[in-house]
Amino acid sequence: MPEKPVLFKIRRQASPAQKAYWEEFELAWHAGMNVISSLMEIARNPLTRDGKATTPITYDSNCLEEVCGSCAMLINGKARMACSALVAKLEQPIRLEALSKFPIIRDLSVDRSVLFENLKRVKAWVPIDGTYDLGAGPRLTMEDQEQAYPLSRCISCCCCMEVCPQFNRQTGFVGAATISQVRLFNTHPTGAALKRQRLQALMGDGGIQECGYAQNCVEVCPKDIPLTRSISEVGGAVMKQAIGDLLRR
Amino acid sequence: MAAAPSTAAPIKLPGGVSPLRAGQGHSFLWRRLHSLTGIVPVGLFLIEHFFSNAYATKGPGAYTKQVAFLSSFPFVVTLELLGIWLPILYHSLYGFYIWYRGDSNIRDYPWAGNWMYAAQRWTGAIAFFYMGWHTWHLRFSGVHILTYPAAAFGKVQLEFHSPAAVAFYAVGIFCASWHFAYGLWLFAAKWGITQGPVSRRRWGYVCILIALVFMAVGAVTMHSFMTTPQQPVEPAASELDSFTMR
Ligand code: HEM
Ligand code: SF4
Ligand code: SF4
Ligand code: FES
Repeated sequence: MPEKPVLFKIRRQASPAQKAYWEEFELAWHAGMNVISSLMEIARNPLTRDGKATTPITYDSNCLEEVCGSCAMLINGKARMACSALVAKLEQPIRLEALSKFPIIRDLSVDRSVLFENLKRVKAWVPIDGTYDLGAGPRLTMEDQEQAYPLSRCISCCCCMEVCPQFNRQTGFVGAATISQVRLFNTHPTGAALKRQRLQALMGDGGIQECGYAQNCVEVCPKDIPLTRSISEVGGAVMKQAIGDLLRR
Repeated sequence: MAAAPSTAAPIKLPGGVSPLRAGQGHSFLWRRLHSLTGIVPVGLFLIEHFFSNAYATKGPGAYTKQVAFLSSFPFVVTLELLGIWLPILYHSLYGFYIWYRGDSNIRDYPWAGNWMYAAQRWTGAIAFFYMGWHTWHLRFSGVHILTYPAAAFGKVQLEFHSPAAVAFYAVGIFCASWHFAYGLWLFAAKWGITQGPVSRRRWGYVCILIALVFMAVGAVTMHSFMTTPQQPVEPAASELDSFTMR
């Protein structure tokens, strides 16, 4: 156990348009500290390593137990959740940077609204609104529940998109999380009402075809969601629908 | 009920990835066509090509017969053009375009699948330059093999006259075998044929076997060309008579 001080190198940026710069921080080591608790300590006493006063670091976090998905950042160059990144298990100096494929708002806080926008475009919801009470929906079979539950654990952290070689500005690829949510809502007996529209949406530019099956998404996902299985299943469903539509037309 | 698509513009900061363009564009068609051409017809042609060349292991006579058989197809040049050249050209050029638009990141994320993603691009590119060299030498320059099948064996033998050329052929065969075999694996994963991790792993073993078979057949074929005494490359007089009338 390292009892010496803990060293952080943090990439900072005051606003979306301003230039980024690095700052170093030194904290006293204590048991159980993680990256978010360290950022909290820096906020309480915002002094750089050489004692200069600075501003607290901006970052997103909420649950502190890896269920809200807000604290994703690059830690030593790799995308992961900061609240579950234990300092004792990290190489020092610990480098913190904002996710690289999302616009920086300030410091470590990025705008991940693209995922929300993608979820809307594939209609990732169960349509239950009507002008009258539609009553209880059909029951999910036990088997479907077992398939659906792991998918429903997505925390929208966007790690799977950050590490995907195909998710970038040239492709505008939708990313694994959204594809997996299509599978989740198509599995749902009431959600399946929008199945065709969801699959159709995934055939648009930036759709499922852009996946090169590098499988980084499934490696990184903090919730162990079977993303490659989702991509294969939805990939097959999309092909079936595309060919079917061609023949029915 | 399905809600109307959102009209509110999302907050736009510079540098972001644009969201899915649902219902727009044709990239689905082009990308899936790229995937398909890798198997049909390019992959099928690769199988045929390795198989036909393996006739070299049965000696120059058998090899000449096979070349003559392939050359005897009706509309042979049209078949070549539509069944081989255009699909390979499409798969290659679109493959380079796919490569250009992706951001390989094995330095940050050195995982097996990510390595294979990068390898699929490099093996494709090497195969591309190899095929350019190979077809220029054997199909588009020198004695015309389609017209003079008996010259084919000797012409291939001439390819192996320097160790560098032998190495280049070995690398070309290795890359084409690898690219095709992993391509079969990718195709099954992307088109929803192998959906679960177990079936993907098992199909992976089969694909490794396919790669090894291709490499072995390639090696044995090269060995036959290199160990047989040099065959004549000039078309024989009798052949000239029978073929010039065509
Ligand atoms: C020997 C001839 C070739 C054969 C038999 C072949 C076959 C295949 C197959 C079956 C696939 C899998 C389909 C897929 O991943 O969607 C594939 C993928 C690919 N091929 Fe080829 N290919 C050949 C030559 C080339 C060449 C010359 C290039 C040029 C760079 C190329 C670039 C690619 C790329 C980039 C992929 C991956 C696509 C992706 O990850 O989404 N291929 N190839
Ligand atoms: S399999 Fe690879 S290319 Fe496809 S979404 Fe996952 S990381 Fe991206
Ligand atoms: S699929 Fe996994 S990595 Fe992707 S956003 Fe959801 S929880 Fe995060
Ligand atoms: S703070 Fe919620 S996931 Fe890290």
